[in-house]
Amino acid sequence: MSAAAPALAAPLSRAHKVATTLILAALVALPLSGPHQFILHMLSLVAISSIVALGLQLLLGFSGQLSIGQAAFYGIGAYASGLFATKLGMPFPAAFVLAGLVAALTSLLMVPITRLTGAYLAVATLGFSILVYLLIKNEEWLTGGSFGLMGIPRPSLFGFVLTKPGHAYLLCVAVAAIVYFALLRLEHSRFGRAINAIRQNEDAARASGLPVTLLKSQCFVIAAFVAGLGGSLYAHQVRYLAPTDFTFWKSVEILIMVVIGGMGSLFGAVLGAAVVVLLPELLREVGDYRMLVFGAILMAVMLFGESGIAGFLSQCLKFFSKR
Amino acid sequence: MSAADLADLFAGGLAIGCVYSLVALGFAMIIRATGIIHFAQGELLMLGSMGALSALWLLPKMPAVLVLACGMIASGLLAVAMEFLVYRPLRLRRVPLMNVITATVGMSILCINAARIIWGSEPLRYPELFSSSAYGFFGVRVSPQLVWIMVFGVVLMGLMQLFLKYTRTGLVMQAVAQDPEVAQLMGANLSRMMVYTFAIAGMMAGAAGVMFGSLFFSFFEMGFVIGIKGFVAATLGGLGSLGGAMLGGILFGLIETFSAVYVSSAYKDGIGMVLLIAILLLLPSGLVGLWRRRS
Repeated sequence: MSAAAPALAAPLSRAHKVATTLILAALVALPLSGPHQFILHMLSLVAISSIVALGLQLLLGFSGQLSIGQAAFYGIGAYASGLFATKLGMPFPAAFVLAGLVAALTSLLMVPITRLTGAYLAVATLGFSILVYLLIKNEEWLTGGSFGLMGIPRPSLFGFVLTKPGHAYLLCVAVAAIVYFALLRLEHSRFGRAINAIRQNEDAARASGLPVTLLKSQCFVIAAFVAGLGGSLYAHQVRYLAPTDFTFWKSVEILIMVVIGGMGSLFGAVLGAAVVVLLPELLREVGDYRMLVFGAILMAVMLFGESGIAGFLSQCLKFFSKR
Repeated sequence: MSAADLADLFAGGLAIGCVYSLVALGFAMIIRATGIIHFAQGELLMLGSMGALSALWLLPKMPAVLVLACGMIASGLLAVAMEFLVYRPLRLRRVPLMNVITATVGMSILCINAARIIWGSEPLRYPELFSSSAYGFFGVRVSPQLVWIMVFGVVLMGLMQLFLKYTRTGLVMQAVAQDPEVAQLMGANLSRMMVYTFAIAGMMAGAAGVMFGSLFFSFFEMGFVIGIKGFVAATLGGLGSLGGAMLGGILFGLIETFSAVYVSSAYKDGIGMVLLIAILLLLPSGLVGLWRRRS
């Protein structure tokens, strides 16, 4: 990891606050304009992916730990929530919180590996992700195996079932916003500064008396918790889970979201999620070639450097505000 | 289980282990020289396999050695093209390593989908490359395919070691991998060595592709899983050590084959992963770390 300060990491300026409020207001007001159901569904998926990407941003962008196994926790959260709802008839809010907790508890199993670094950590998380996928696929008595888990109820809040796509969309946006602001606070807290120090120079951080291993494991658990929450929302949004939703590719996709959006930028993680989820849909016109184009675009965006799309946008803003 | 079955299983494990070793070698070489986890390594394997198969369609009477050479040349050229067109421009712009690694994922997506468009999404069968009558060793009969794969694998890996140890270029490549700055001060041409590294890694992957294709079949998504296993094998041996990568590959092949029979075929990939995590926790520098600590 280079030592360059992440883009947009400065404490929130007034312009930032205004921009955030405007974007949030626009997102909340969107269902009022009566868009197509499919668009709302896709935007809900963007919100869900943002949640998972935000978690990985904390892990990779803030603390510098490369995990290519976030799909494992996403899948654990999704299946936990789905099973709690279908088999135990648990109400949505309880299943939602428990899904996050189950994912976080599972990540405790993996906490010893946070002492690994770089490619070793990456391959260990990758191995874990493959294990979880195999468990989901083969333990048919629990997860339904390759047939998938069906009949997951729609989310409900206070006895009110969210049948309209607009309402489910608002739920996803609300959770994404809460996660975003929580991580933003975390970023500028003592904890956030500590993990930033670890990312820049682990030895120096340790020499300054920071409990490096503890902090790194905390990041790992928080990221898993957040991914579990995202998984729960996904389960209730799509209402059908299949093991193929949580392969190693999903982990790579989540990683792409963070890197493409901009490392170390929470807003970047959201942007990256939007690009990764929506771009293949937008490229539908080129038919068979869409993933080909997607791969090429991915490589081209890497030329922007560490700060990704978020950094590119903020440079554009600077350029135009100077004029 | 009889001794003959056991020997057959062992040979199968060794053969698939050779395939993993070749892929792992490519991973280890690239990581050593550049620090990049090359996610498109598996795709190089797939494209080599496809390329050799296409050559075989054109000239059906080609001997096995030539088919292997076709695969190696195809993958080697592709790897060099990747380095020239994508990785080098990225390096010259001094983007962080994480970006280059993500670009290799992009490259892998590109290759998979290009292959799907060119060769279709059906698995393609290799014609028989070797004679079909089994060879006998001390009363144990082994399929000729497995024997030849092992022979080719060992010869290729041996040749590569000889190249690295006894030729000037090989020695420079090793020096660059160990300390690029000092090597450059001594007059090593860094970017040329990078090209060589990618070329050799690509050729190894191409050979592995032909071997795997002749064992099973070849199709556009094959590289992905084998690539991951090769990466795991490289880590098992200790990333960045070439001997470790070879050992890791063969070990991984044996573990996978035996656990498919003795434990559970559904979890055969899982057992390798559990082992991987355990080894990383107990021996963070891989199997080679154990040996180095002793000496």
